[in-house]
Amino acid sequence: MRLENVWLRYHRRGPWVLRDAAIGIAPGEAAIVQGRNGAGKSTLLQLAAGVLRPTRGRVVERPTVVGWVPERFPADQPFDVHYYLVAMGRMAGLTSVEAGRAVDHWTERLGLTRFRRVRLPELSKGTAQKVGLAQAMLRPPGLLVLDEPWEGLDASSRELVPELIDEVLADGGSVLVSDHRGETVRLPGARRWTVAAGEVDEVAPTEGQAYAVVEIAVPAAQVAGTVTRLRADGHRVLGVHLDRLGATDGAGVETAAAEGRPGDAPVSDPEPPDVAVSGSTTANTASGGQVAR
Amino acid sequence: MTALVRLRLAGFLRTGRAVAPLLAGLVALGILYGGGRAQPAEAYGVSAVVLFPVLAWQTKLLLDVEPDGQRRLAQVVAGVRRERWAGLLAAGLAALGTVVVALVFPWLVGGVTAVVEPGGRSVAVGIVLGIWAHLLAVPPAVLLGALASRACTGSAGYGVAVLALGGVGAIVLGLSGSAVPWLVPPIMATARATTGALTAPTAALLTCWAAAWSAVVLAGYLWWRRSRA
Repeated sequence: MRLENVWLRYHRRGPWVLRDAAIGIAPGEAAIVQGRNGAGKSTLLQLAAGVLRPTRGRVVERPTVVGWVPERFPADQPFDVHYYLVAMGRMAGLTSVEAGRAVDHWTERLGLTRFRRVRLPELSKGTAQKVGLAQAMLRPPGLLVLDEPWEGLDASSRELVPELIDEVLADGGSVLVSDHRGETVRLPGARRWTVAAGEVDEVAPTEGQAYAVVEIAVPAAQVAGTVTRLRADGHRVLGVHLDRLGATDGAGVETAAAEGRPGDAPVSDPEPPDVAVSGSTTANTASGGQVAR
Repeated sequence: MTALVRLRLAGFLRTGRAVAPLLAGLVALGILYGGGRAQPAEAYGVSAVVLFPVLAWQTKLLLDVEPDGQRRLAQVVAGVRRERWAGLLAAGLAALGTVVVALVFPWLVGGVTAVVEPGGRSVAVGIVLGIWAHLLAVPPAVLLGALASRACTGSAGYGVAVLALGGVGAIVLGLSGSAVPWLVPPIMATARATTGALTAPTAALLTCWAAAWSAVVLAGYLWWRRSRA
């Protein structure tokens, strides 16, 4: 899939959001789209997915099957999870049997089984995001476009995203993903595109440097100090979330949304909790990073 | 496309948005038929006029039920063209359902008579003309509603303005003596034709007029949606 000299603006006299973007991604490749808020990351992803049409230029060689996970899943719909996903599968060209089978597979895989009969507006943000992931995977996509896919996902679910990406890549598909939380350190082999001032550039890979994610647990009272020390040592803190003692995988706990803001963690827990801190650290390996837990 | 049409119709019904235009249509028809019994062709001709803005409003409601994000998802999954056509098709099917109610309703409330006047049309011919008059109103009404939908106008205010202008314009500019009757679909002209002696050429002309008007507005709708993508 390639963008050939693509320009885009939303209104006739509006400012150019993207200017002369010329980038491409081959089958089996993943690219991370980075940039500040409002830089045009989502616009670029929507152009790639086919949601937006370039004002100038063109998008070529887009695969027939595209999976798109929008930044905000449109949950304001009067359907339950199962009905919606089956309908999306049928819309993607699957037969009723194939759609049912695909929905069963992905609801189980993404931990949505107990939400199958829950109506979409009643889902939490993270669960709705999983429904968004599921609908994109019902038919194996040749291009998977993920706009902030980690948004709202809990600690245990965040690992699902790299798994899905690896599977799409292994099947010969391409993946585009944006992220402002730093979660893309979990994708050490991906190319990096930056969007700034309407221009898209590829960041040259730094030779021999890869990243790994290390999750540590510290007493709640020491969170602020730990985060400060980690940052002072040059590490990136990806997130802080409350975890009960012994909850090894973080399942069922809330995650503080903002990077390195322990004050955002819920404080109503009756027992003194431990706090899990996820951070990234450099690993000077030539072969790429390991995501460690 | 069938799955997308079904999803949209299901959304329209499950949210209860279908109730308001149906009730409004029934109230309007109730007032229309409250004055006494009429011959089927005449009654149905006026019924099509009354139903025109209701069907347009119903279409707007149906298309606006779907969140913008879901509409974009449908474009990615099913394709941009299918997404646009599926919306129109779903609205057309919903409109046909309302038309069926409108055709049956006067018989339930005694709004039409089965007594044939000397020299008048038979009941069967009257019903056929009534179906024809309603079918002529459906495509223009659906397209007016589509033009007023959020996907086209981008805001509720503009949508209501398009709907009101279109609905009122179809009646006002369709009055006999109008300087520019061709600017609007032949809803009023059809109603007038059903009250008099309708000849085959007149029926053909009105049908072509409705088809041509619908084709032009359809092209405009598709172009506008494309330019806003």
